[in-house]
Amino acid sequence: MVEKILQSISKIPAFPAAVQKVSELLRDDDYSTRDVVKVIQYDQAITANIMKMSNSAYFGSRQRIRTVQEAVVFLGRKYLHSAVLTAGVSRFFQVSGGGYVEKGKQLWEHSVAVAIMSQILSRQLYKREDPVLYTAALMHDIGKLILGEFVHDACERIEALMKKRNCSFLEAEEEVLGINHAELGGRIADQWNFPPLIRDGIAYHHRPDLLAEEGSVAGLIYLSDQFCLMAGIDGGVDGLAHRGIGSVMKKFQLREVDLERNLILLLDELDQAADLLQLVH
Amino acid sequence: MDIVVGISDMKCSNKKEDILVTYALGSCIAVAVHDPAAGVAGLLHFMLPDSALDGAKAVQAPAMFADTGIPLLFKACYQLGAEKRRMTVKVAGGASILSDTDYFRIGQKNITAMRKIFWRNNVLISSEDTGQNFNRTVRLNVADGTCLVKVSNGTLKDL
Repeated sequence: MVEKILQSISKIPAFPAAVQKVSELLRDDDYSTRDVVKVIQYDQAITANIMKMSNSAYFGSRQRIRTVQEAVVFLGRKYLHSAVLTAGVSRFFQVSGGGYVEKGKQLWEHSVAVAIMSQILSRQLYKREDPVLYTAALMHDIGKLILGEFVHDACERIEALMKKRNCSFLEAEEEVLGINHAELGGRIADQWNFPPLIRDGIAYHHRPDLLAEEGSVAGLIYLSDQFCLMAGIDGGVDGLAHRGIGSVMKKFQLREVDLERNLILLLDELDQAADLLQLVH
Repeated sequence: MDIVVGISDMKCSNKKEDILVTYALGSCIAVAVHDPAAGVAGLLHFMLPDSALDGAKAVQAPAMFADTGIPLLFKACYQLGAEKRRMTVKVAGGASILSDTDYFRIGQKNITAMRKIFWRNNVLISSEDTGQNFNRTVRLNVADGTCLVKVSNGTLKDL
């Protein structure tokens, strides 16, 4: 089973080149708006999505944006990377589902919610938006999409095992499939040449405590994911069957009251991000 | 007609053809009330136990908290002719992640807060499906008060 699953990674579509190129351009503080516009316009789907999103309240839009040029200027360094990424990867979630998720849209909504929560935490802890964290958060469950086609039968066995042993979804997944969706997501990230920080953020998003050098990306995605599950914004059949790791809350010096306050903020920001959620039907 | 109750929201109805629905409760709790004589039903989807967390938010969105949402639900049903002594109360939700620590206890805190409010007001919960680690969806039929709970693994339960 594991070998078959790992082989399937090579068949997944390439990561949108335009998103990679925009990331590279933005690494230069003095990036040229014209170059970014050119790269974006090369990809029609991204162009269309950017136009839909740039008028979104989530990015603080007040005046009507009419062209990609205006969008790039308006989004600026703060939001450009996250917006282009969101516009570019929604295509992977445009699936009818089967297995873990009823519809790709459900997993997309969960992924956007986790990405939004990750920025709420980043602002609270470090007073800034964090595009690397946003990327890893938006892509954290990508393994679930690939596994979808393999788990039709395995799904029932995973659920039976969870019931019998009262174990987590991840543990049941490992026993039945030989690999969990987070680890598989990490392999996909490698295939797409994501930087190690993002790859580890995806691969360890349920067990950030297992990382030798516990960076903040995996830990913050872990927390964002758990918070979203509590709000009912789940990513499929696993529901809330995940382990709570208190040490991660301690590491960031967060208390339960912070979790409650962040849930309120999440609802507000999800309202503003309706345009992002609607990119997948 | 399906009337969707969003997160931190409340709806009630006295139209026989209506079904009040709320999706994906997570740690939140759905309170479903019904008065068979008046033909009135109401559904609340609250997220947090105590409005003391954020007073301004409690004014703007009272259905967000157990202590402001539950009274709001009952009052809205009274306005449609429901009476407390005839009302049945069913609750679902309040799930938790598998946790051995005190950091993620919102589901349990929601259940406790809700029970306290009902106990203080002499209201009996007629049936409930709470706790554990499932994500639940609730459908409340205004005509007869039937309350169906669908769990994330697909099982359907008549509360």
